[in-house]
Amino acid sequence: MKDKNENKKSSRRQFLKKGLVAGAGMVAGGSLLAAYIDKSKPTSGEKVKVLTTEGELVEVDKSLIHSPRVSREESHKGIPGRKFVMVIDLAKCKNARKCVESCQKGHHLPSSQEFMKVYLLQDSEKSAPYWFPKPCFHCDNPLCVSVCPVGATYKRSDGIVLIDNERCIGCKFCMTGCPYSTRVFAWKDYPEYAEDKEPYSPEASSPGKEGTVSKCDFCPDLVRMGKLPYCAQNCPMGVIYFGDIDEDTVTNGAETFRFSELIRDRSGYRYLEVLGTRPSVYYLPPVERQFPVESGFNDLKESVKNRFKNTPYGKTHKL
Amino acid sequence: MENKDTKEKLLRQFAPQLEKVSSATLVWILFLLGVIGLGVYAFVTQVTKGHIVTGMRDNVVWGIYIVNFIFFMGMSYSGAIISGTLQLFRTEWRKPIIRMAEYLAIISLLIGPGYILLCIGRLDRLYYLALFGRIQSPITWDVIAISTDIFGCLIFLYLSILRDIASLRDFSELKIPAWRKKVYSMLALGYTGTPEQEKRLRRATDIMATMVIAIAIIVYSVLAWIFSVTLQPGWHSTIFGPYFVIAAVYSGTGVLIIAMWVFRKVYHLDQYITRKHFVAMGVLMVVLAALFGYFTFSDYLTKWYGSEKNDESLIRILFTEYYWPFIFSNYIGVLIPLLVVGIAKLRTITNITLSALVVIVALWFNRYLIVIPTLESPYLPIQDSRPDWVNYTGTWVEFSLMAAGVALFCLLFTLASKFVPVMNVSEMAEIPKPESSELFKAEESLL
Amino acid sequence: MQTQNKIRIIFIFLLCCYNLVTSAQIKKDSATAITPTITFTYLNSNDTIILNANIFDKKEKGVFAIKNAVIEFFASGDKKTRNLGQAKADEEGNAVLKLPVAKGLPQDKDGKTTYTAKFNGKDKYRPALETFTAKFARITVNFSKEDSLRFILVTATQVDRKDAIKPIQKEKIIVYVPRLFNLLKIGETDLDVAGKGKVEYPGNLVGDSLGNIIVIARIEDNDVFGNVQGQSSISWGIPKQYYLAEKPTRELWTPIAPIWMIVTLIIMLTGVWAHYIYAVIQLIKIKQISKKKPDSSS
Ligand code: SF4
Ligand code: SF4
Repeated sequence: MKDKNENKKSSRRQFLKKGLVAGAGMVAGGSLLAAYIDKSKPTSGEKVKVLTTEGELVEVDKSLIHSPRVSREESHKGIPGRKFVMVIDLAKCKNARKCVESCQKGHHLPSSQEFMKVYLLQDSEKSAPYWFPKPCFHCDNPLCVSVCPVGATYKRSDGIVLIDNERCIGCKFCMTGCPYSTRVFAWKDYPEYAEDKEPYSPEASSPGKEGTVSKCDFCPDLVRMGKLPYCAQNCPMGVIYFGDIDEDTVTNGAETFRFSELIRDRSGYRYLEVLGTRPSVYYLPPVERQFPVESGFNDLKESVKNRFKNTPYGKTHKL
Repeated sequence: MENKDTKEKLLRQFAPQLEKVSSATLVWILFLLGVIGLGVYAFVTQVTKGHIVTGMRDNVVWGIYIVNFIFFMGMSYSGAIISGTLQLFRTEWRKPIIRMAEYLAIISLLIGPGYILLCIGRLDRLYYLALFGRIQSPITWDVIAISTDIFGCLIFLYLSILRDIASLRDFSELKIPAWRKKVYSMLALGYTGTPEQEKRLRRATDIMATMVIAIAIIVYSVLAWIFSVTLQPGWHSTIFGPYFVIAAVYSGTGVLIIAMWVFRKVYHLDQYITRKHFVAMGVLMVVLAALFGYFTFSDYLTKWYGSEKNDESLIRILFTEYYWPFIFSNYIGVLIPLLVVGIAKLRTITNITLSALVVIVALWFNRYLIVIPTLESPYLPIQDSRPDWVNYTGTWVEFSLMAAGVALFCLLFTLASKFVPVMNVSEMAEIPKPESSELFKAEESLL
Repeated sequence: MQTQNKIRIIFIFLLCCYNLVTSAQIKKDSATAITPTITFTYLNSNDTIILNANIFDKKEKGVFAIKNAVIEFFASGDKKTRNLGQAKADEEGNAVLKLPVAKGLPQDKDGKTTYTAKFNGKDKYRPALETFTAKFARITVNFSKEDSLRFILVTATQVDRKDAIKPIQKEKIIVYVPRLFNLLKIGETDLDVAGKGKVEYPGNLVGDSLGNIIVIARIEDNDVFGNVQGQSSISWGIPKQYYLAEKPTRELWTPIAPIWMIVTLIIMLTGVWAHYIYAVIQLIKIKQISKKKPDSSS
């Protein structure tokens, strides 16, 4: 009986994830992105979800779409009428690292490059350690964008900060400009880059290019198809919520909340607010945790575990 | 007015260096070329294998290249400021050394920006800086400022060597190939020293001297702002502009003293460059040492006193991992010149030169300590199991290219001294005028 | 319940037959043959039935969608079974079929229909099958204002065997508004005996740029009805504000620089270069003087 209940629960989660599908068809309307759709091809009957120029989700025939990636010019514009936000629930994070791995896979990154990083933070000696997943904050006052000499990194109308790897000259100024150590540099031509056979688009941050900078991109290529970013999709704990702040809604796929209520009820905050970068990523403090911090060391690769050897926690505990 | 005889005598003294290359010089030049060759090899390695061959990684994204960039640019500005000021105030003892300061300004200005290019991941896209330049970026400011500076220094140098070139053109005893004579006569612009020409030349030189000083200050502040506009602990400081300018001039006096010593030895200029000149430069160095010490102290004192979390961790790193470099660059590098020049007994040419050497090395480390420890202590702690990702160490590629830069600097200095005398012959030959009218004249020509 | 079991037995029997037929072919690579899993979801939305069969292969390492698998859908009642058509699974293994008209579907004596998603096997995958039983229902959404309060009114009805319409009683209704990725829950209520429910409309919901908002009422995971939803639109939403104007302003981080920056730069550059030009003019004059001199002397 218990088993059955659990099954039901998981199927419910499945279903709610699918709610996406059902919800999508109904709010259809608006014209489609011209750059996106190739009307000359015969239809195949297979449907995919895409966002229209009005920022609405509609279903179109798969064969009409020549590439789910938009051109470099198009990528400067941003998805109209949207402003993306992420909420990360520190109370639920147990360093499962699925966000990191799925993001690396999705962006064709080598293991030495992480767009999403999970830190083990401890604010002061006597305060409690906690796991801290950190993507790019897509700041509303992004210093990284300000300092770029060639406009290779830019902020769009939907709040997303992207990098055009075909424009970037690799001066790395943005890497020192970002106070959150968010950006990574392609120190060589990693073989993983070549795995991606699709044309380059700043929205996909892939295929990567040697000698240029890249970082977490909030996966606008997935968002255009009505999907959550890789990290939010793949977190087994549902730690990462994503959504449109103007719509006041965030979701982790299974649960959907009003952003303002979530932040109010759980005392959401932004990291290092004092720096004035105005991040688009909010954190829910690690109160009433669902996992002890030690559980984050289970099944870790040795190389990952060693990262935490030098943290205050790692120095006083056996990892 | 020029004294013809003094001038002839001086030209005769410099003639051998301009006429032929001694075997010792040849070996020296070949050695320098060898070092540059190593640098070229290192550069090719970096281009083919990617920046992974350097010690830079995602946290420490700027390494020795940027340190050298600041260092060479600093020498350049120092050369410009020293030569400009000496020129404007008609300081008597400037005459034998002002040319060296001008060479210093232009030669290091040609090498410095090369280092920032080494640091750039996509050299093939360099022209994007002009094509898509964004005015908000301090790098754009720097590109504009440095190119303006290069033009200014070139014009200033040209104005200053013009009279010497004219003298060389007219100096019949000089045994040089015909093409070189032609070059001299072309570059001399038909200058014969008529009062009208002299007036115009003086006016232009004074104007350019002012410009060169102003630009040097602006450009080096811009360079400092590349660091201080970011939010990084240790960089985000309002004091950085003036601090960098002072540090630059300070390091430049050191280099200048060494150049004086070397040329004095190699070209036997003992009678022109005397202890008086060394002491004069030494005093300048001491003044700058005090200023530099003062700025360094204020910068670190305020960080330490306020001890904001990240400033505190930066200072902790400086006093643990970087203890000796820190002590060396910020204590010894300030105190040595103070002692050597301050105590009359120690004030010898050799001592002053040695302390200048200490100053140069100390200042190089000072820049290293500004760039690297800050990048090693970001807001979010570095959590990585790869040691090279946590701490920066330069690799052979970076050190080879650093050596190549120094070699190129020496090479260009050597070659320049083979083209036009390292001393301003025409100025040296000038009959000194009473000092009171000197200053007055300088001001007059400014108006 | 019994009928449902009967149908199940029939299908299992059919499946066995099918297995026999295809066993020869499967035997070849029986070592690697895999039985896929199907998760079958049913949603009855505004008289359209959406059947979604998600087909995947559950491995130790995780779940792998079987792309392009062809799924056949059937509806069956007491007596007849109807083929509804087929759909191909997408990248994520979802094969979706939409049935526009609910009428005329085979029903059992309780008015229930059993839906079947069937995969006939392909390559290394064995055939698989999943069923779902649901009774057709309908939800309508209306709105009302009482004093200063606003309400969402939900009515749920079921269609019986004889096409007789009866209210659905005592079931839980959840009310949502659709959002970019998902549905946002704004309230829930239990239906009364008349099949009606009432939920207060929360004041500060954001609609589209005109303030229009869609409200969806749902019965979820119900043993009898499955998932049923109805929707309606109203202009009660707060008009959506766009965060950034399409045209970027002059900021540090925008493509165009603030005016003071451009002005300062121009002033400084003209100042400096004017002096350069002045110096160069002096040089040119020096040259000109030297040219004149031979003339005057001759
Ligand atoms: S987190 Fe860093 S890289 Fe991301 S937008 Fe902010 S400043 Fe830029
Ligand atoms: S590294 Fe690339 S994106 Fe970053 S500031 Fe330089 S050019 Fe811009």
